[in-house]
Amino acid sequence: MTRHLVNIVMSGVFHAAILFLVAAGLQVVFGVQKIFNLACGSFYALGAYTGVSAVGMYTAAGGPPALFIVPLVAAGLAVGSVGWIVERGLLRFVYDRDETFQLLLTFALVLMMEDLIRMTWGTAPQSTAGLYLVYGQARLLDATVPVYNLIVIAASLVIALGIGWLLTRTAFGRIIRASADNREMAEALGVNMGRVYARVFTLGTALGTLGGALVIPATAAMSEMGIELIVEAFAVVVIGGLGSMRGAFVGALVVGVLRSAAIAFYPELEMLLIYLIVIAVLLLRPRGLFGGAAA
Amino acid sequence: MTTSRREFLKAAGAAAAGVVASPAIARAQAKKGVPKEPVKIGVIAIRAGIAAPVGMAGLRGTAWWADRVNKAGGILGREVQLVTEEESSPKDTVERYRKLILQEKVDVVVGGISTAVTLALGPVAEEMGTPWLSWDGTTQKGVDETMPNPKWAFKSVDNEVEAIVAGLLTPKYFKGVKTVAGIGNDYSYGHDCWQTYQAVLKKHNPDVKFVLELFPKLGVTDFTSHIAAIQQAKPDLLMCSFWSGDATIIMKQAAAVGLFKSMKGVFTTAGGVHDSLKKEFTPEGLLLGYNSMYFDDPRGSLLLKQFVREYKAKYDGYPAYECDHAYFCAESYKAAVEKAYAASGQWPAKEQVAKALEGIEVQSLSGKRSWREDHVQMCNFYQGITTHKNSYDFATITPIEVVSTKQAMKPAGAKLLDWIANWKA
Repeated sequence: MTRHLVNIVMSGVFHAAILFLVAAGLQVVFGVQKIFNLACGSFYALGAYTGVSAVGMYTAAGGPPALFIVPLVAAGLAVGSVGWIVERGLLRFVYDRDETFQLLLTFALVLMMEDLIRMTWGTAPQSTAGLYLVYGQARLLDATVPVYNLIVIAASLVIALGIGWLLTRTAFGRIIRASADNREMAEALGVNMGRVYARVFTLGTALGTLGGALVIPATAAMSEMGIELIVEAFAVVVIGGLGSMRGAFVGALVVGVLRSAAIAFYPELEMLLIYLIVIAVLLLRPRGLFGGAAA
Repeated sequence: MTTSRREFLKAAGAAAAGVVASPAIARAQAKKGVPKEPVKIGVIAIRAGIAAPVGMAGLRGTAWWADRVNKAGGILGREVQLVTEEESSPKDTVERYRKLILQEKVDVVVGGISTAVTLALGPVAEEMGTPWLSWDGTTQKGVDETMPNPKWAFKSVDNEVEAIVAGLLTPKYFKGVKTVAGIGNDYSYGHDCWQTYQAVLKKHNPDVKFVLELFPKLGVTDFTSHIAAIQQAKPDLLMCSFWSGDATIIMKQAAAVGLFKSMKGVFTTAGGVHDSLKKEFTPEGLLLGYNSMYFDDPRGSLLLKQFVREYKAKYDGYPAYECDHAYFCAESYKAAVEKAYAASGQWPAKEQVAKALEGIEVQSLSGKRSWREDHVQMCNFYQGITTHKNSYDFATITPIEVVSTKQAMKPAGAKLLDWIANWKA
C-alpha cells in the first residue's frame, strides 16, 4: 500500500511540476498585462520541440548523455525569447482593446503555432529516444521512481522559489507588482510600461517553453500537446486564483495529485474530478484559493 | 477562424503534396477507346493533429504508386493525376469530398482514416455515384456494420481485427496468463479493441480475469499515473491499443519504472509508429502488431523491398502499414479499370469500375490483397514478438506471425461477438 501511495503521489507531483511552470507563465502575464494568454500551451509545445532538436544536435555532436539536460534547459529558456517578439510584434497593439480581441489574438497564435510546428518538425511525434532513462531509477519507500522525474520536480521547485525571490526581493519584482496593482500609478512614477510588458511576457513565455523542454525526455512531442495541457492549466488557475503565483503552485499540486489518485482509484473520474473541484471553487470561493479581491 | 486556418492548410498542402503529376508520362499513348486526358484520383488524407503521420504515410504510399504507374505509361495510357484534399471533421470532409467529385471531376476517390469521418462519407459516396476506396476507415458504428450492401463505398478492414489477431496469439506466446489489464484511447477504437480482445481471450481461457481498464483521452502525453494504477493492479499481462505517439510515450514511461519486468505486454497496433520504439526503452518479448504490412519481412515481395528502400532514401524512415492500405486502394482501382476495359474495349464507366472492384485481387506492397464481395478489404496482419537482434535502433519482431482476415475478421453479415462466441474452442 505504501508503495502504491508513493507511486500515486510521485506521478501526480511530476505532472504538477510541469503544470506549475505553464500555469505560472499564464499567471504572471495575466497579473501584469491582464491578458489571458491562450497561447501558453503553444509555447509549451514549442519548448518541447526545440528541446528535442537541441538534444538531438547535442547527441549527434557526441555530447555525453548524462549532461543532455544542459542543452535541453538552455534551448527551453532560449526559445522563450519568442515571447518578446510576440509581445512587441502583436500583443502591444491590443492592450487597450476589448478582452475578446485579446483572446482571439492569442487563439490565433495557438493555431498558427500548431501549423508552424508542423511545417518545421513535420507531423510525426518527436522524442529524445532513451535519454529519459540515463539517470536510472531511485527507490523511494519501496517504490521505483525515475530519477529524471525527481530532477524535474526539483527544477520546478527551484523555479518557484526563484520567481518568489524575483517578485518580492528585486527591483524588477517590485515594479511588476506595482504595475499589476495600478498600471497608471506605476506609469506616472516613471515606469516604462512597454519595457515591463515585454519582459513580463517573455518571462511568462520562457516558463512555458522551459516546462515543455523539461517534460520532453519523459514523453514525445506532438503538435497538439499544448492544447491538451492548456485545459488543465486553466483548471489550475481557477483553483489557485487568477494572477496568483502561490495559487499556481497549490493549484498545480491539487490538479496533479488528484488526477493521479482518480486514475488509481476510479479511472472514469480522471478529468471529471478536476472539473468538479473547479466548480466547487467557483461556487464557494470564486476568486480561487489565493486570488486577490476582484478588481 | 477555423476556416482561415484550413485555407492556409490547403495552400500549404497544395504546395507540399497537392497535385502530384509526373512529367515522365508525356510519352505515354492512350489505348484505343481511352480518353487522352489524365485520369484524376481524389485523395482524402488527414494532415493535421494526432493522426497526421498516418495520413502522411497514406499520401506517400499513393504518391509512390502514382509515380510508378506514370513511369510505366499510366492506366491504359492515361496519365494519373492526384488531387489531394484534407480530412478533418466529418462535416467539412464531406464538403471536400463533394468538391472533388463535382468541381474537380475526379474518377475515383481514395482515402479516409478516421471512422467518424468515413461513417459520414459512406452514404455520401453512395449518393454521389463515384467509387470511394477507403484506406483505413470503416462504416462501422462500434463493431456493427451500418452499410452492409454498398454500391460505391469500399471499406477498410474492420477496426478490431488487430485485437482479434492479438487475442489469438496471446495464449500461444504467453502461457498461464490469469489476470489482464487494458489501456486504450477513450473513443470507439480503444473501447472496441479492448472489448474484442477480452472476448477472444475468454474464448481460449474462460477463467482469465480482467482486472483494470484505463481509457485516457487522445492526446494525453503523461501516463505516469496510469502506469502507477497498472502497477497496483498487478496483472500478468497489459494489453494496449495505442497507435500514435502515445504508444511511444507509454513504452518509455513504462520502461522508466520497469513495468514489463513484472508483466507481459501486448501492443496491438503500435507497429504504426514502429521506428520510434527505440531499443533503449522497448523491451524484448512483447507482442507487437504491425497491422497489414511489416516493412522488414524477409519473405516480403520485391515490390515491398523496393518500396522500403526508396522510402528510406526519400524520407529517412521506415514505412508503416498505411502506405500499404493506400497502395492497395490505388492499385486495385487500376486493376479494375483494366479488367473492365478488357471486357468492353472502352474506358469503363464508374459503375463498371465499381462492379469490377468486387472480389478483385491485386499485388500490393504486403503481398496479395483483395476486396471482399461486400466491399471490405482483405489482407494479412503481421504481429510478432519484439526483438533487439537487428541492425536498427528500434525493436522489430521475430518470429513473424501472419494471420489472414479470412480467419480474423467477421464474415459478411455476421455480428462480431456472436461470431466469436460460435468459434470452436
